[in-house]
Amino acid sequence: MTALSSVSFKTPQLVARIIRSVIGIIVVVWAAMRIYNVLFVNQAYGLDTWVRFGITGLIIGGMYALIAIGYTLVYGILGMINFAHGEVMMIGTFGGYFVLEALAAIPAPTLANPDLNFLNAQPLLSILLAFLAGTLAASLMGYLLEKIAYRPLRNAPRLAPLISAIGASIFLQNAVQLLFSPQLRDYTNPDALARGTGWSIEIAGSQVLVTYTGVLSFVLSILLMVGLYVLVQKTRIGRAMRAVAQDKKTAALMGVDVDAVISQTFIISGALAGAAGVMWGIHNGLVYYFLGFIPGIKAFTAAVLGGIGNIPGAMLGGLVLGLVESIGPAALGIDFQLKDVIAFLILVLVLIFRPSGLLGAASVEEKL
Amino acid sequence: MKLQESSFRSGLRSGTTLALILLFLVLIGFNASGAALLARLFGQTTLSGQLPPAIFGIVFIALLAVGQGISSALASRRRNAARPWVSSFAAAGLAGLALAVFILVMGSLYQNGADFRKTLYALSPAYIKFLTVDQMPIVGAAISLAVMLLAGGLAGLGAIYLPFGRYCQRVKTMFVRFWNLDGSRSLRANRYFKFGLYAVLVLMCFFVPRVWGSYWNYVFGLVGIYVLLGLGLNIIVGLSGQLVLGYVAFFAIGAYSVALLNAPIPHNLMWGFWAAVVIGILLAALSGFLIGLPLMRLRGDYLAIVTMGFGEIIRVLLKSDLLTSFTGGPRGVQDIRGPSLFGQSFSSDIDFMYLIILAVALALFIASRLQNSRVGRSWIAIREDETVAQASGVNTTRYKLLALALGAAFAGLGGVLFAARNQFTGPEDHVLMVSINVLSLVIVGGMGSVPGVVLGAFALKGLPEILRELANYRLLAFGALLVIMMIARPQGLWPVGRPSLQRKEAPDSPTENDKPNQEAPNG
Repeated sequence: MTALSSVSFKTPQLVARIIRSVIGIIVVVWAAMRIYNVLFVNQAYGLDTWVRFGITGLIIGGMYALIAIGYTLVYGILGMINFAHGEVMMIGTFGGYFVLEALAAIPAPTLANPDLNFLNAQPLLSILLAFLAGTLAASLMGYLLEKIAYRPLRNAPRLAPLISAIGASIFLQNAVQLLFSPQLRDYTNPDALARGTGWSIEIAGSQVLVTYTGVLSFVLSILLMVGLYVLVQKTRIGRAMRAVAQDKKTAALMGVDVDAVISQTFIISGALAGAAGVMWGIHNGLVYYFLGFIPGIKAFTAAVLGGIGNIPGAMLGGLVLGLVESIGPAALGIDFQLKDVIAFLILVLVLIFRPSGLLGAASVEEKL
Repeated sequence: MKLQESSFRSGLRSGTTLALILLFLVLIGFNASGAALLARLFGQTTLSGQLPPAIFGIVFIALLAVGQGISSALASRRRNAARPWVSSFAAAGLAGLALAVFILVMGSLYQNGADFRKTLYALSPAYIKFLTVDQMPIVGAAISLAVMLLAGGLAGLGAIYLPFGRYCQRVKTMFVRFWNLDGSRSLRANRYFKFGLYAVLVLMCFFVPRVWGSYWNYVFGLVGIYVLLGLGLNIIVGLSGQLVLGYVAFFAIGAYSVALLNAPIPHNLMWGFWAAVVIGILLAALSGFLIGLPLMRLRGDYLAIVTMGFGEIIRVLLKSDLLTSFTGGPRGVQDIRGPSLFGQSFSSDIDFMYLIILAVALALFIASRLQNSRVGRSWIAIREDETVAQASGVNTTRYKLLALALGAAFAGLGGVLFAARNQFTGPEDHVLMVSINVLSLVIVGGMGSVPGVVLGAFALKGLPEILRELANYRLLAFGALLVIMMIARPQGLWPVGRPSLQRKEAPDSPTENDKPNQEAPNG
């Protein structure tokens, strides 16, 4: 009887392991063949195209990284996936959008140009204000989200906060849709930062455009990441956050106000997501209520890819995911429609084969 | 003095919350829809795109104020504050004041030709006129303030001084006494009485679909399909505790198996509906098993996200050009042939209603039998604590896979019925929202509870059809409901009675009954 039960106990796990290895080998071999095919047999793309893909990937990756940091911070401290984080980013995009719209409506005529508005008269100040507004709106949203939807469930069973987060995410999407209408709107950039304008550099005999909005987004996201790293490693708030992440009870005994630290974490992650949201709007140019969903899932993928709970991991994961996503369809020679499938596949594969991510974190199984 | 002040203050606090909620509702145009619903109760239909008479808007906010007044008065009384009705007046007055200021400002702005529809979608000039009760802004604001203050305050006074609470209590006691009477107990235990009830139920299932017309057949057919889906997800989430968000993938497999086997385009196989039922169920179960195998290591939130990833992959693949020749691509599959019985077509709405009723009855039977079996107890053990279950000799991997496969089979059946009834299926039938809807109904009904699933399906799928004025706000309500249920009532509306398998010893262990559905916190 015992022998029988122990056999039946192990068989499915063995089968699972075999299936896992078979899937792994198939994926690796298939990807290698496709990449070889594209690079050396077909040679469909020149160097300039690859550079273009790389630039796109880095820009998007910077935004993913900023959002992913939010997932990782919250996961590190509360051990929960903030499913509504993509919606926090969407709120940030809307915050920036309304400020830009309002500034565009303020006339600031000069002698040379009587039709000038404030947005174009002071482009830098306007963009700064937009980022400020987006960041503020998203941090406020993060704070409220934690206070209303997660704090009452601090000691509830594991699934409760996740379900609550799913509910909050649906609620926010639909609230924004009902408030601001379901239509797609164009993000109003200052003329100096119009989408599709930029420096053009010559690579392999053809012009590659490096857009101003892209450079702004990428530089700003790197700056914010550095700032966050300093905040977490060097300041008092950061030390409290790390302490709470390690052990809530002991941190409380050492005089750390755990509730306040958790609120601060949500505010900080909301601020980063809000900045990413404004970048998203300025660079991609569309704003609508469902906008946060896909970046949210992708940033979560990035956080898992880098090792959830690990801040440098989230940054690396975001950049890697952005690059893979923009280079991947071309490198694998598949349809560009399937860009999203690549991100989801990476998520599934990472969780199946290396749940601790690239840079490693506490094992997913042990944490759970 | 101190006590009364606290009553006043608590009123102000709850009034602030009410004011924010009220302003939000006004900004999304909920007032007009609620008023239209009220108007329909009084026999006045409102055409879509039009507003009901303004008086119903006033009645609607008065009802909100009544609810708030009663709840804050009762809350103050529970805290033993002096003059608890003061808090009702304070709460309703504050909310009314906020609304009045809003109406005054917006009304004046709109009188001067402002239009915020570009930003705040709901604020059309007609809606503002509706809010001001077709009067001057100042008059409309005053009316709103007065109505809210009076309705809320009087409701608070009534809740404190009128013996409504005692009446409710008395009716409840009478009902409980009747329920526990020896006569009614023996009647309920009587076999023939039970058979009689079942017979009435069967007759109703037979005759009602013929009587009430195709609209209600459509609505209740949808409810039935969601009961099927809910029962399946209930096995996965409610019993074995695995949060799966890609449930729609199994639904899609069922729908596409009937579509590809029974439609002229793209394959023209025409194997017949009944073969498709079997194949759809088997394929869905198999895919549940195969998807589950590599994921057995993951728990909780990770499983949720990965399965959601699977669901999205399937949807994107269905939509892409890659599979167009196989699945019909983004345009979906049309003209799916319905079932036929003994050579005759069996695909009118009434026939489909019968099919769905049959499937639901079968599924209810299977689900409730499973729940009380050895398998069901193993699932519950896994849900409560996987490590302990494993240590007590439950083969967790096998039972989790079994739950996934079975749950997927239910979804496959649901998908087959859904696609065959609509004679169409496409990628847009299989979006993430379906998974979320099913998850919501399982949670609202009570995780792990079979009658809860039925109740949840009626509440979340049937009720929005009845309250069709509020259809736009359905998803908003779902989201809010998920959060509120988790905080206020995590065990659901109809929680499962666990102690049926426990020895009934003493009434001094009520804690088991209180939160039967909560997982033990592990890790």
